[in-house]
Amino acid sequence: MSSKQDILGRIRAGIRERYEMPSLADLQATVFPDPLEAFITASLAAGSKVVEISPSSDINATVRELFPDAKVIASNLPEINIATINPDTVGSAQELNGTDVGIIRGSFGVAENGCFWIPQAMKEKAVCFISENLVILLPKTEIVNNMHEAYRRVNLGDYGYGTFISGPSKTADIAQTLVMGAQAARSVTVLLV
Amino acid sequence: MSRHSKNAKAFLKDAKYSEWHDATFWAVREKRDNMAHGLPEWEQLRQKASQIKLHTLSHLDEYLEQFSAAAEKNGAIVHWAADAAQFNEIVFGILSEHGVKMIVKSKSMLTEECGMNPYLEGKGIEVVETDLGERIIQLLGQAPSHIVMPAVHLTPDQVGELFEREGISSEIGNHDPTYLTYRARLSLRNEFLTADAGMTGANFGIAATGDIVVCTNEGNADMSTSCPRLHIAALGLEKVIPDYDCLAVFQRLLCRSATGQPTTTYTSHFRKARPGAAPMHIILVDNGRSEWLGNPEHWQTLKCIRCGSCMNTCPVYRRSGGYSYSYFIPGPVGVNLGMLRDPRAHSGNVSACTLCLSCQSVCPVKVNLGEQIYKWRQMLPVWNAEPAGKKILCKGMSMVYNHPLLYKAATGVVKKPFHSLKTDSDE
Amino acid sequence: MKVGLFIPCYVDALFPQVGMATLKLLRHLGVDVTYPAGQTCCGQPMANGGFESQAEPLARRMEDLFAGFDYVVTPSVSCTAFVRHHYPKLLKEGHTCEIASKCMDVVEFLHDVVKPTALPGRFPHKVSIHNSCHGVRELGLSSPSEEQIPQQNKIRDLLHMVEGIEVVEPERRDECCGFGGLFCVEESTVSTRMGLDKVRRHIATGAEFITGADCSCLMHQSSIAKKNGLEIGFKHVTEILAAGL
Repeated sequence: MSSKQDILGRIRAGIRERYEMPSLADLQATVFPDPLEAFITASLAAGSKVVEISPSSDINATVRELFPDAKVIASNLPEINIATINPDTVGSAQELNGTDVGIIRGSFGVAENGCFWIPQAMKEKAVCFISENLVILLPKTEIVNNMHEAYRRVNLGDYGYGTFISGPSKTADIAQTLVMGAQAARSVTVLLV
Repeated sequence: MSRHSKNAKAFLKDAKYSEWHDATFWAVREKRDNMAHGLPEWEQLRQKASQIKLHTLSHLDEYLEQFSAAAEKNGAIVHWAADAAQFNEIVFGILSEHGVKMIVKSKSMLTEECGMNPYLEGKGIEVVETDLGERIIQLLGQAPSHIVMPAVHLTPDQVGELFEREGISSEIGNHDPTYLTYRARLSLRNEFLTADAGMTGANFGIAATGDIVVCTNEGNADMSTSCPRLHIAALGLEKVIPDYDCLAVFQRLLCRSATGQPTTTYTSHFRKARPGAAPMHIILVDNGRSEWLGNPEHWQTLKCIRCGSCMNTCPVYRRSGGYSYSYFIPGPVGVNLGMLRDPRAHSGNVSACTLCLSCQSVCPVKVNLGEQIYKWRQMLPVWNAEPAGKKILCKGMSMVYNHPLLYKAATGVVKKPFHSLKTDSDE
Repeated sequence: MKVGLFIPCYVDALFPQVGMATLKLLRHLGVDVTYPAGQTCCGQPMANGGFESQAEPLARRMEDLFAGFDYVVTPSVSCTAFVRHHYPKLLKEGHTCEIASKCMDVVEFLHDVVKPTALPGRFPHKVSIHNSCHGVRELGLSSPSEEQIPQQNKIRDLLHMVEGIEVVEPERRDECCGFGGLFCVEESTVSTRMGLDKVRRHIATGAEFITGADCSCLMHQSSIAKKNGLEIGFKHVTEILAAGL
């Protein structure tokens, strides 16, 4: 397309001085004596619930206990046997609407802000957003200090999508009043395994 | 009287409302301060962010080529739009090709800049804004009054009454923000499920990977792209940054500066279309940016990452509101962007600054916003765009100050000045 | 060390007592200070309003007037900031710009150069510091509230040497008072509102006086206080430091 060459040409004509890329090696980013503790504190501040469970306990029972009234549970994780719908096998993303609890896996958490990285690992990523309640399985050993460390680990996987999530969907668009549960998940529970 | 000053006067007539407006945005500034002061490396981050932007903008040709090549390798279709008209045509062309009748979209100041919504609506395509604030002002037929909190100028009653009129609320008289947000959620859910296409803006484009990165608190960008079979992403040229290491710097600054949160709820990376969907379309929009880059005095305005913190801290913005400015982006960065866009149309905004420089002290990428407004002011006499009274006043001052005798005469009238008070042999 | 005293136009015309206080204070501290005749204005008002070219001859006047001094000291932060940051680009052809680097506001000159350890005066009152924008963000008289840097305030440091004084700062400690030179003419409604908000925050501290390093901010606020019947006094910081001289 000619627009591309025109635009690039104008940019080249306009640049007078080329600035160096700064070194980021000397950036003294915050690290925590106990990243897990910091992660939990930041998660709670972002509106997440955090539940620590032992590796031997049954995740299914924990989810049942947390959401006794849940009817539609969506997950494609092999260890989840209470799922009633699978984001890998649904005919369309729309079918996931009405999900009470979506259960997904996070690959690591970030201590400074309580977010966790969710690479798309299911056919329909809608499950991460359309579910009323979102449950994240997160290994408690996988907590990095800050976003610099986080971005060195980010991997989008084959689906080519991933997101950092911290807490439930929220908005303060009406008069700066914070409301949890805007367009996506209304609650987020981090199960630290 | 400048145009801004006239509008500001009208805004300040309602003392109670304007006091609320000032307090609301000052509270956001305080939240931002808590974040900034809680992070020992804050100033270092700002410094790095500024330097990365200077580097990226001065190598923008290279990074844009790298970005588009990476995105194409990922399977995306990359378009280059020279201006707003071309951008709108490209969007319409893609939508037509896919038989799209309705799109859901997340907030994008770029589509606002290009007038995309009215253009598409004129072509018979329904556009549904899905950011709650954007949705509210869309239903009201208003423009955003702030780039991050577009509907914050409205009271809960105004939103409640709107939702009642639109049939979004069912409990008449319930104007509780939690209730209203819930009703909007129910209403928008249907749009997410039935839209033919989703459109997002972009906070960043990553040259190394071709990712489009979108930051939201509501998750509406993700909802907008989870069900529809087509995703179009639009980004201004200046949104492209080199890589993830750079992104980490900006990601840490953006939300802390914007709303005083340590991160947005969602920081989403879009690299490929979802399975079974049409290829993702990415539109790189120039619309003046390549020329602004060549403006020796003002090219650094392009460093802006649109956090809105300069608005929140600006004592004039807080006391005059977003609609007192003639450009659709208000506040310090809006004054500058408006002047880059069309100085004759927007010179009425440059008076809206005391040169207090708070804007450039909060700016996470150190855009010298106040200094640039000072520079724009110097151009007004050149263009003859000055209010006549001001010119005469300055000419008068200049004459007096250049002639010490005249000055002595003039100041002597006011009060016994210092130069006549001095008692002994100083000179 | 030869010091030239620069008394900006509006200080000269409206606040001669501030000029006197500055002179007395410097003399008392043993500074060799001279007031060169023929001073007018540094050019800031015109330049901030968009008429920088009209400031150029004034910059040349200033450069010539103060040639030969080691320091140029003035009781005005915004004039200092203008001379320091704008003169180098105003004075182009054939004129080296020395005044830019030797011009100091009296507060920073006392704090950083003279470094007194004691002052003779007593001022048994509660005062609220007005941190003027250009002092904060261009001269570094205090740490800008926006930045993550060690907290300091040179005005407070000096005032603490005065016996009997209680020093406080208002909420929003360095928000602009709305003067802004021609801003207060062009945007009078916003300017007045800002000034009123500022004075009220100073009054809320319980202070009897508002003090600062810039007469223009004090002038703006004092006229607003008067119009609105708000009771509070105004003193330039040198007037307090020179109390008892």
